[in-house]
Amino acid sequence: MPVIEIEHLKYKYPNTKRLALDDISLTIEKGEFIGIVGRNGAGKSTLSQAMIGLVPQFYKGAYGGKVIVDGVLADTCPVEEMCEKVGLIFQNPFNQLSGATETVYGEVAFGLQNLGIPADEMHKRVEKVLKQLDIWQYKDRNPFNLSGGQMQRVAIASVLVMQPGIIILDEPTSQLDPEGTEEVFRVVDQLTEAGFTIIMIEQKLEKIAKYCDRIILMNDGKMVDFDTPEKIFSMDDLTGIGVEPPVYTTFCREHDLKRQDGTYPVNLEDTLSIVRNSGKKILLEEKKTEIRKVAPQDVFRVEDLEFSYNHDVHIFEKLNLFLDGRSTAIIGQNGAGKTTLVRLLKGLLKPQSGRIWFGEDDISGKTVAMLADKVGYVFQNPDDQIFKYKVIDEVMYGPLNIGMSEKEARDRSMKALELMGLKGKEQMNPYDLELNERKMTAIASVVAMDTDVLILDEPTIAQDYPGRELIGGMIRELSSEGKLVIAILHDMDFVEKHFERVIVMAHGKILADSTALQVFAQDDVLREARLQKPYITELRQCLG
Amino acid sequence: MLNVFKTKLSAATIVLIPACIGINYLGKLIASVLKLPLWLDSIGTCIGGCLGGPIIGAICGALNNLIYGLTTGDNITLIYALTSLGIGLVVGILARLGFMETFPKSLICAVGGGLAAVVISTPLNILFWGGTTGNVWGDALFTLTQAQGMSVAFGSFLDELVVDVPDKLLTVVIVYLLLKGAPQKLTSLYDVNAEVERLD
Amino acid sequence: MSDFSLYVNKGTWLNKMHPYTKLLYILAAICIPVIGGKLWLFPVMILCSICLLACGRTLRRALPLVAFSFTLIIVIFLIQGLFNHANETILFSIGILTFYKEGLLYATRIGLNILNMLLSFAVFVLTTSPMELVDELEKSGFSPKFGYIINSVFQIIPQMMKSKDTIMDAQRSRGMETEGKLWVRVKALFPMISPVVMSSLVNTRERAIALEVRGFGRKNKKTFLYERPKHKGDRAIGVFLVLMIIAVTVWRIVSCL
Repeated sequence: MPVIEIEHLKYKYPNTKRLALDDISLTIEKGEFIGIVGRNGAGKSTLSQAMIGLVPQFYKGAYGGKVIVDGVLADTCPVEEMCEKVGLIFQNPFNQLSGATETVYGEVAFGLQNLGIPADEMHKRVEKVLKQLDIWQYKDRNPFNLSGGQMQRVAIASVLVMQPGIIILDEPTSQLDPEGTEEVFRVVDQLTEAGFTIIMIEQKLEKIAKYCDRIILMNDGKMVDFDTPEKIFSMDDLTGIGVEPPVYTTFCREHDLKRQDGTYPVNLEDTLSIVRNSGKKILLEEKKTEIRKVAPQDVFRVEDLEFSYNHDVHIFEKLNLFLDGRSTAIIGQNGAGKTTLVRLLKGLLKPQSGRIWFGEDDISGKTVAMLADKVGYVFQNPDDQIFKYKVIDEVMYGPLNIGMSEKEARDRSMKALELMGLKGKEQMNPYDLELNERKMTAIASVVAMDTDVLILDEPTIAQDYPGRELIGGMIRELSSEGKLVIAILHDMDFVEKHFERVIVMAHGKILADSTALQVFAQDDVLREARLQKPYITELRQCLG
Repeated sequence: MLNVFKTKLSAATIVLIPACIGINYLGKLIASVLKLPLWLDSIGTCIGGCLGGPIIGAICGALNNLIYGLTTGDNITLIYALTSLGIGLVVGILARLGFMETFPKSLICAVGGGLAAVVISTPLNILFWGGTTGNVWGDALFTLTQAQGMSVAFGSFLDELVVDVPDKLLTVVIVYLLLKGAPQKLTSLYDVNAEVERLD
Repeated sequence: MSDFSLYVNKGTWLNKMHPYTKLLYILAAICIPVIGGKLWLFPVMILCSICLLACGRTLRRALPLVAFSFTLIIVIFLIQGLFNHANETILFSIGILTFYKEGLLYATRIGLNILNMLLSFAVFVLTTSPMELVDELEKSGFSPKFGYIINSVFQIIPQMMKSKDTIMDAQRSRGMETEGKLWVRVKALFPMISPVVMSSLVNTRERAIALEVRGFGRKNKKTFLYERPKHKGDRAIGVFLVLMIIAVTVWRIVSCL
């Protein structure tokens, strides 16, 4: 029985010329798990929001065609009615909190209050869903003080409690640390078993492949195809439309390992069984990490560093670390001390004791402004820094501040923008760009300052495959110029692919510090840091 | 002209109000962090007025002072809820009439907001504290007028004028610059006349 | 509650009183001396508020509020004592400054009024949870939209303060100076305020979506998780306060006749 029917859906946001959705027709059956895949700007979120009526009711704009959800027309049924049929969870856990309750319990009840559910029924439903999602123990906490993963589970609970039959998950884990991601996917497992109809948008295609019955492949507002994961990921030239198939599919394609129906496998089990059946011994070759000649002296030398935000809880006790010219990824859970460490390196925080040497200088005596032309730092959220009306002006702000001439600043900014894939968008208003491009603008604005060190805090958030490749290219480029690139990352496959050195942190300590290959081979370290290994490493190890 | 007051109480507008109150608070905080000799505590109210219309602006202003007054126990703020309401209302009306479209026009809007503040605050000052404003420069001027034997009302008016008008002028100019840069995809949410257009 | 509100639950009977009763107390505390017109009524009400604050074990927390108002009161004393138009009777002189009786009397009245208002508000503010007040307001028929706005302010401002710190760090990392000459500081204003405003507008859009998908704005009547336990004293105190206001009004009218 179809639960969502879309016929010739067209949609245009107000004040825009381009169709964000261009003639989409599809049918989704009850209980199906549907993935939506495509590059940023392909129309994935727009399509999902059309299924709950936010498009067009919330945004207005121009709308054509029909979306029928569970028997009602989505463009006219008010969203506050529709929410009993369809639940929506999106990326930013923080902005999904109602912002008007002081406990998790009250937050989850907020929707029920609006629906006018009687008190005793509310208590029953809230208790059930909190226990189901394993957040009952936080019921009296302020939701704003939870971790990202916990907050996102509260958001899911708040939607589930209203008992919709359809759940839309719009990149629910893209802003979470690895542990939070696992927490959320455990919930997705539960929902799948409980028989909900689920629509999921996700950049991690290995995840999508694991869950989905069918996948909607989108590009430029159009639906390219709607089929099983195997069929979709076996299509030629997926990377051409900004989609990178799962590592398993790519591996099998290289070795021409096909399933019986002629498609390539999309998950680990399938891949292994096909390799086994082929009777051949196929190994996944290790990526050769060139051991580069490293500058003789260390860039940063951290000696006996101690730091705490308030004197009770120590973040670091006697931390020692040397950083040389190799591109370095710092991985670990939120709260492991990664951000605190890089903020100390940047001089934004001062150590309580111990020293941090930058070359020959002790940086504890320097201000942030004094270090501005030496150490660049890209913050997580680009909206925390963008304030100019033109991309080029935004990017030139830093270079001009540190005393570059107008011409030099412009040249460096243009170069940085080209590096981040923003060539041709110099004159645009940064706020007219999408989040992923604003993030690129923020990175470019620091790269243009031409600092010896570049620190990136979770640069891959909200980036699709082409975006991740651009960032990877930038890291290689800067490294080859002899600059030190340090990045905090949660995307293990990205770390594996682009970094020469990996530091694993947990509880303010360094658990491992080596090449990606060696770090991801240490199962005990990954377990202690509660990290998952990259899919490619797992595949390599399974192949023997 | 009735259209000037048209207001829609959608979720987007409702959420805008606390955000504007927060912006008021942060504006004031940033001015004090940077040690600027200004308050800048009505940026949010003006944004509310420009985006949501005069009614929303007035609500932002009044609630702003009521909430701070009632939570921080600072009843001095509480009394000026009327002033904030007036600023939000006047800036909202002028914005709807097109006085935030260009920079020179925004200056008229700024003066309008400033005058609204002065006209409402002066009687309050006289009623509650005999004419002073609590600002050093303004009160020095007030003292001077009183020493010269001018009327309390006139002195208080001058006091308020030198204190409020420059502050509101800068506030509205900042708001103009901010909203000029804001993308349409954010501001179009508050367009009261927006309707869904059919493509078929 | 967030650190933004001054309310602390100390479990005293004042915390358990209905918010409306305490609001009525503010009304009474302000009206009685003003309607009564006698100067001695101010200290009586001030003393009353101080006693209540002591009962609520929040006297110490009220001190900063009072201290804050003293500058204003001193300014008023100076200006009125020296320059009030009604000034005739010289009371005393310090150097060239001559203070007059009429002005000082006027200033005393204003000063006491400020203190009285401040303290009666403190009784309310320091012992009442804003969320509880909003819940009660909504139960008595205020729009839930209005309630949302108030609750949301308390939750959102602490978050916005955090983002202000991040913004400041992000801009300083790009070489922005926040200290020095006036012009340097003025130049830092826009890079600080613009991201604050823009990111709150971006967040506003997302939060509005979050509210819509949770049934915000439905026409039906909102329901509440908890019933408020009735406090026996609410009614009695409420009646007493109303009677006091009426008594003072009558007394004033009678004494005028």
